[in-house]
Amino acid sequence: MKRTHIILLILVAAAVTIIVSMFGDFSTYETFASAAKEPGKQYHVIGYLDNSKPFDYNPQIDPNHCTFYVKDKAGNVNKVIFNGAKPTDIEKSEQIVMTGSMQGDAFRCHKIQMKCPSKYQNDQVAIGNAS
Amino acid sequence: MDTQFIGEHLAPGKLGHFFAILSFVMALFSAFTYWRAAATENKNADSSRSWQLLGRNGFILHVAGTAGVFITLFYIIQNHLFEYHYAWRHSDLSLSPKYLLSCFWEGQEGSFLLWSIWHCVLGLIVMFTAKGLESRVMTVISIVQVALASMLLGFYLGPDIKIGSDPFILLRIQMQDAPIFSQPNYLDFIKDGNGLNVLLQNYWMVIHPPILFLGFASTLIPFAYTIAALWKGEYKQWLKPAQVWSLFAGGILGTGIMMGGAWAYESLTFGGYWAWDPVENASLVPWLLLVAGLHTLIVFKATGRSFIITVILMSLMYLFVWYSTFLTRTGVLGDTSVHAFTDEGKALYWHLLFVLGSLKLLALLLIIVRWKSFPRVKTEEAVNSREFWMFIGSFILLLSAIQISITTSIPVWSPLAKAITGKDVAPPTDVVKHYNDIQVWVAIIITLLTATILYLRFKTSDNKTVLKRLGITAGIAAVLSAIMAYTQRIGDARYIVLLFGSSYTIIGMIYYAIKVQKGQLKKLGAASTHLGFGIFILGVLFSSYNKEVMSINTMGVMMDFGKKNASENARESMENVLLYKNTPVVMGEYTAIFKGDSTSPDDPRVFYKVAYERRDTTTNKVIESFTLYPDAFINPKGQEENSMSPNPDSKHYLTRDIFTYVTKAYDPKAKTTDDTSQYKTHRVHQGDTVFTNDGYIIYAGLNTNLPSNAYDKQPADIAVQAVLLAYDMKGPVDTLYPLYYIRDQYAYQIDDTLKTNSLYARIGNIIPDDKAIELKIKQSENEDDYIVMKALIFPYINLVWLGVIIMALGFFLAMLNRITKKEKAAARAI
Repeated sequence: MKRTHIILLILVAAAVTIIVSMFGDFSTYETFASAAKEPGKQYHVIGYLDNSKPFDYNPQIDPNHCTFYVKDKAGNVNKVIFNGAKPTDIEKSEQIVMTGSMQGDAFRCHKIQMKCPSKYQNDQVAIGNAS
Repeated sequence: MDTQFIGEHLAPGKLGHFFAILSFVMALFSAFTYWRAAATENKNADSSRSWQLLGRNGFILHVAGTAGVFITLFYIIQNHLFEYHYAWRHSDLSLSPKYLLSCFWEGQEGSFLLWSIWHCVLGLIVMFTAKGLESRVMTVISIVQVALASMLLGFYLGPDIKIGSDPFILLRIQMQDAPIFSQPNYLDFIKDGNGLNVLLQNYWMVIHPPILFLGFASTLIPFAYTIAALWKGEYKQWLKPAQVWSLFAGGILGTGIMMGGAWAYESLTFGGYWAWDPVENASLVPWLLLVAGLHTLIVFKATGRSFIITVILMSLMYLFVWYSTFLTRTGVLGDTSVHAFTDEGKALYWHLLFVLGSLKLLALLLIIVRWKSFPRVKTEEAVNSREFWMFIGSFILLLSAIQISITTSIPVWSPLAKAITGKDVAPPTDVVKHYNDIQVWVAIIITLLTATILYLRFKTSDNKTVLKRLGITAGIAAVLSAIMAYTQRIGDARYIVLLFGSSYTIIGMIYYAIKVQKGQLKKLGAASTHLGFGIFILGVLFSSYNKEVMSINTMGVMMDFGKKNASENARESMENVLLYKNTPVVMGEYTAIFKGDSTSPDDPRVFYKVAYERRDTTTNKVIESFTLYPDAFINPKGQEENSMSPNPDSKHYLTRDIFTYVTKAYDPKAKTTDDTSQYKTHRVHQGDTVFTNDGYIIYAGLNTNLPSNAYDKQPADIAVQAVLLAYDMKGPVDTLYPLYYIRDQYAYQIDDTLKTNSLYARIGNIIPDDKAIELKIKQSENEDDYIVMKALIFPYINLVWLGVIIMALGFFLAMLNRITKKEKAAARAI
């Protein structure tokens, strides 16, 4: 066996170990109910903003605090607390992905990604009247 | 439909579509004829020559067709022909001319077109420089051009299968269902386009995409040369051009990627130049593979070893270029990317998979067929040889690319994982930490190898000299990194090792450039690239490790984020700070004051003026002051009310940047709305205090001895003035004198106001029996007078940019050196 081969084997073994251990890093998509089973553990939850309930954000009191309600994929509505400024256009989002954990009865998240019906996805014709 | 539409310009679209078809057909023709030329060149030179001539003409016509498409589309956008869907969707009348080209890379068709145009330019250069390899290399280039040109066809095979997407499709065809398009004069109603995404309206976005696409396009050339070599099993002739083109592609692609970083830093608000976003990773992976392939190519050229891995890396590199297009263009990334592009539907998905599969099959088949003929060296390489360590370094880069790909591709393989394990795999909750924790080891190994490898020679080295040089370099680097770790307060062991690694590279490269290459400029390519790499890593280390959020909000609720200590928790939850207009807020060693906003008629943005001051802690004198203008697009077209798209502004110092952006602000249009706040009545005696929103007021008493200019006084009036001392959080602000008088038995009031605090005071009534007055105070809500802002400090970020520039220069120096060497060799041959 060549020396290079031995070193390659070691490197590949190391890489496999790293890659396998890396899977521990990967998170999973959960619902509020399944995230509540392990409070404090970080998960991704996909849901839809519940517009029938109020969205509280008052920057004059705390610019890093939003409270709102989200309906998850299982259909359960839960309170969500987001630490940060209110994401632009969240009311119009079609779907939101939140990263955070259940703490008490609220889902506390520090990251929000939104899917918005942007102008690039649905073509809305802006019509101006002929003058 | 028989409706005659009024005002449409149909000629450019027809012409453009003709060009698109010409481009496609000619690419096919050129691929076929070049293939014939290559297939016959060993048997029948004459026939091969004529096929080759046909191939050349075919390719030139293909270039003409592609250029025609480009020019026609540009004409349509420039003349605002909104009857065309592309122009309507990606531009509008207010678009400034410098962003006209940006419309190309917002849409899918335009990006493919740009990519194709660069292939044309590079193809023409290859055509005139490839000499004996021309037929084979051009066959590969033409095949790829067939794939790209088919993206612009927009042909239907049956009702459901569509090949490509026609950039010249009319708006009324694209959106047939809208009733407006049944009116012959529909164009009278479409006055303006949808406009360009505001994020693309940035100067970096004018320059970054063309460079990045040139980088992507140029990776085709080393791949094509590799295929050409495998084709006939000739493993010598391709080496030089493959190396030159790899250097070119490496330099351009690397620059393009980091220009994207600069754009993200200057105009996106994720607070940095690199976020390990899938779109960024998708372009980084081919670059890593290219760099790895370039190094093994050099090893092969010098020693005849590492041929197999070179071929594999070069093929993989190009496959990953298409894979990254697949990832970013088809919407498979879905939720995981901040800026994944639009979902263009199933057609593109299969189209790209088909291209990817075909290229993979081509490379794989050639490798299998030629496997036995691959050059191999029986003996072992020595441990003190350059090739041994270079091979290991390249292999590490390959592993790094694999790791990045696995995590980036989670959305691609997670359905499979779900089917097997039942778990719905998501990306790591802290993506940046995930990548950093793994890739820091790659960076450590690579930096340690870099200097070491250049001290070694191919085949075998003089151990004594090498060890002496390594010892000196490591010694200096150790001292230097110890000093830096101490002054920059870097505590994490891994990052101290990386600090040593990058210092080692930097010192090593300077030593190598002076001592070994004797400072001869044209030989400095390798030294410069690696020096740039070392500086870059150092900059990344400093700017990320000591990145500091200045805008820590100390009010409000603190949350547990599972961080190690309270201050980190605070940081996590309070990175935004609220600034009322004209109210100073302390941020780190600075005081920031929001001074107001401004707009200008020819710029759609709103600029927020934020003044920073730094004072000496003992004398309280202002040491420095500057003003930043973070801006935002408020209510960009197509989006609804109250949305904003902010751009940061930074104060650049040599050693650090202060980076500021607005995360929330009032809507200036809503500013004119009615003042809804009400007067509140307080019954006060002399000396009483009334609290306001941002301070308090002390009622100091009544004053009957009015100054003559207080109001338009008449002799019979009975008038008094209340003396109100207004305070805010910091101290006295001003004195207010609301006025009350009786004239002809009627009571009149004159308000006094404190504009800076939006405070209105009025005497409602005077109650002599109680020695009291009814004081009416109104303070309008500061709703329209605040911004929420985030401010970060990036120390030594200039090292990042400096490193990139030096690295890019190194690539081009090395390339020039290769090219001139070739000329010398040719001259000797004559």
